[in-house]
Amino acid sequence: MMVPAGHAVEPSLSIRGLSKTYAGGVQALNNVNINVAPGEFLVILGPSGAGKSTLLRCVNRLVEPSAGEIFHNGAKITGRRRGLRAIRRQFGMVFQQFNLVKRLSVLTNVLTGRLAYRSIWRSLVYSFPEADKCIAIECLARVNMDHKAFQRADTLSGGEQQRVAIARALAQQPKVILADEPVASLDPKIARQVLSYLREAAQELGITVLCNLHQVEYAREFAERVVGMSHGSVVFEGSSLELTDDILHRIYYREPGEEEKEEA
Amino acid sequence: MAAPVAPVDGVLAALAARKRWRLHHIAGAAALIAFLLWCADGVNLRPRELAGALPLIGEYFYRMAPPKWEFSEVLWKPALETIYIALWGNVIAIVIGLPLGVLAASNVTRSAPLRAAAKALLNLQRSISEMIWAVFFVAAVGLGPFPGALALGVNFGGILGRLYAEALENIDPGPVEALAATGASRLQVILYAMFPQALPQFVTYNLYWFEVGVRSATVLGMVGAGGIGFELVTTIRLFEWRETGVVLLLILAMVTLIDLASTWIRARIY
Amino acid sequence: MSAATFEAAVANALALESERRMRRATRAAVWAVAVVAVLWFTAAQIGLNPAALVKGVPFMVDFFSRMFPPDLSHLLLLGRATVETVQIAVWGTLIAVMLSIPFALLGARNTTPHPLVFHATRLFLNALRAINELVFALIFVAAVGLGPFAGVLAIALHATGMLAKFCAEEVEGADRGPIEAMQATGAGRMQVILFGIVPQVIPAFVSYSVYRFDVSIRAATILGLVGAGGLGFSLIKTMKLFKYHETATCILVIFLLVFVSDWICARMRSRIL
Repeated sequence: MMVPAGHAVEPSLSIRGLSKTYAGGVQALNNVNINVAPGEFLVILGPSGAGKSTLLRCVNRLVEPSAGEIFHNGAKITGRRRGLRAIRRQFGMVFQQFNLVKRLSVLTNVLTGRLAYRSIWRSLVYSFPEADKCIAIECLARVNMDHKAFQRADTLSGGEQQRVAIARALAQQPKVILADEPVASLDPKIARQVLSYLREAAQELGITVLCNLHQVEYAREFAERVVGMSHGSVVFEGSSLELTDDILHRIYYREPGEEEKEEA
Repeated sequence: MAAPVAPVDGVLAALAARKRWRLHHIAGAAALIAFLLWCADGVNLRPRELAGALPLIGEYFYRMAPPKWEFSEVLWKPALETIYIALWGNVIAIVIGLPLGVLAASNVTRSAPLRAAAKALLNLQRSISEMIWAVFFVAAVGLGPFPGALALGVNFGGILGRLYAEALENIDPGPVEALAATGASRLQVILYAMFPQALPQFVTYNLYWFEVGVRSATVLGMVGAGGIGFELVTTIRLFEWRETGVVLLLILAMVTLIDLASTWIRARIY
Repeated sequence: MSAATFEAAVANALALESERRMRRATRAAVWAVAVVAVLWFTAAQIGLNPAALVKGVPFMVDFFSRMFPPDLSHLLLLGRATVETVQIAVWGTLIAVMLSIPFALLGARNTTPHPLVFHATRLFLNALRAINELVFALIFVAAVGLGPFAGVLAIALHATGMLAKFCAEEVEGADRGPIEAMQATGAGRMQVILFGIVPQVIPAFVSYSVYRFDVSIRAATILGLVGAGGLGFSLIKTMKLFKYHETATCILVIFLLVFVSDWICARMRSRIL
């Protein structure tokens, strides 16, 4: 089970012994180890509350891990506070609630993906260089939203907003995209469309994708490889073809502490 | 419950139990009434006084009719001045209130001492009425509309600053997280995710406090801080009630017009 | 999609963007000029200039230095005035609450007996709102003499305008469902108002009344400027007698009173809603 594509080459992302306990004492992650190959579309599957969201947020340090390390292309990205912006710039993020700034235009929303590359003085007057606009529009074209570039974000439907959010992540020219339940608020037809756009763009640009999902059918359809999570631990790692009923039961219905019994 | 009781009886009994007045209810009501009577005594509010006062007040309003329209010629300048004071009061309030409001908002400013300092300053400005500020500024820069605008600016700056801070605190945190995740700096996140969300609120508050400012500016003249209040006080002191009537009607017209204008603008900004 | 299509899309959108940017820049420039012109003109009209402010700074410093330190022995004498300020606010607000209920029902489109009554009530309420407490106080002092009684009436009238308008809008915004259900049972007009509308608006009305009390306290602190009782009278009196140390004490007491009332009222409102 542990011989997926990732091992031949150096992993794009290597998560080692990652744990996170929140201030309230809730343990969200417990010694998570995952390797992600460059350009891979990895789905992290699990029920809500399994720690998927915390895992992604540890990668771009929206959440500080309690223990463990993360390496990106061999460089350690956890621990130091310095250079955090440069680290985050390499990771695009897509959210369940899209998180667009609703009163700004679609184009400006995508342009915010370029902010980390630009000085604060230019940002102060809400102005972007021509080169950034080119990048932003191209990213919009990739998700087929360039025809609505000048509309306000709140005039778009949910699926369209998520496509714009993907364009914003692409505009960062990231190495990795972290997608946190990107289709949980969308109906099935739109959800498949959005996931297709995400996979296609990532493939063309060679971007690694970590995508949280809780629906098994999308994981079967889109994933190259699946990591199953339950109660903060990885309980499965393998191809989507290996997702048997037994394994799904382990991901979705396991009680905390059951794992040890099974292994014993 | 020992014996089985019909459900209706049970509910009725429960209702009766809820309705029964407890001793502390009676004591509370008595204390409240005593407090109110004590207050009424303190401000000379007695039924007989009130009955006597109402006709008197009616008579004074009656004396204002018919308004002496010629007087309005004198009033144009102070009336416009009132609006200018309100306008500049608002501008000064924005200049003072916006930075303080940003500093006082918990999701923008991380440093707790800085936040507390900003809040304390806003409270000081807010708690002291614009009339008292006006007295102070008249003493500092002399009589006229300028101290009036300063007084409104300082007081409204405190009020608006707090409202700005609340508007910022109530924005959707999602886009803020999204922009932080792109690697944007703190200031960029504030400019691109926080301000655009809070802006309509800011404009609404400013429009509303402009209306309030016009109403306040009508009385600043009582302490020599410009506007139509000076004419108002003078006519009342000289018992020129028909002139007073004109002033009151003009104030009413002014406030109504501005009310309509700001409703019109507000419908257009979202 | 091929790279060529992206290029076309980018060129197309960039052209549109620069066109839009030009249009927006022009519009922004026009607005900026207009705003600056208005501010410039009005600043000149009211004699607003930074130079006067800078020149005023020594006077302000002088004023402050003469107030400092506050004469705390004066504190005892202010007890009576502080109590009076609160008493004025209590009765001013209470009368306003009582008066605003009938006015609100007359001034709400869905409860008014006649459209004419509606418009007349709204006009009257607007007049009460437009005229500042101090103006009323000034007239009432002339009518019923100096003292807190005139202050109570002044606050009551202005607060009635505010409260009744707020309440009328709440009544108009009441959920139609329960009202229609009541009408369907054959309830009379008064019954529908009492059981269908009043329960819906009570929490907001009580909360706003508490807020109004807070505002009334603030207003009551300055009524004394025109002789209508409260702390403002001590303030203006000590100032006219150049006893600035005592003025400072007055301002301190006013600040504390407003601060405490603000805190209490905010807590009460958060418990109601």
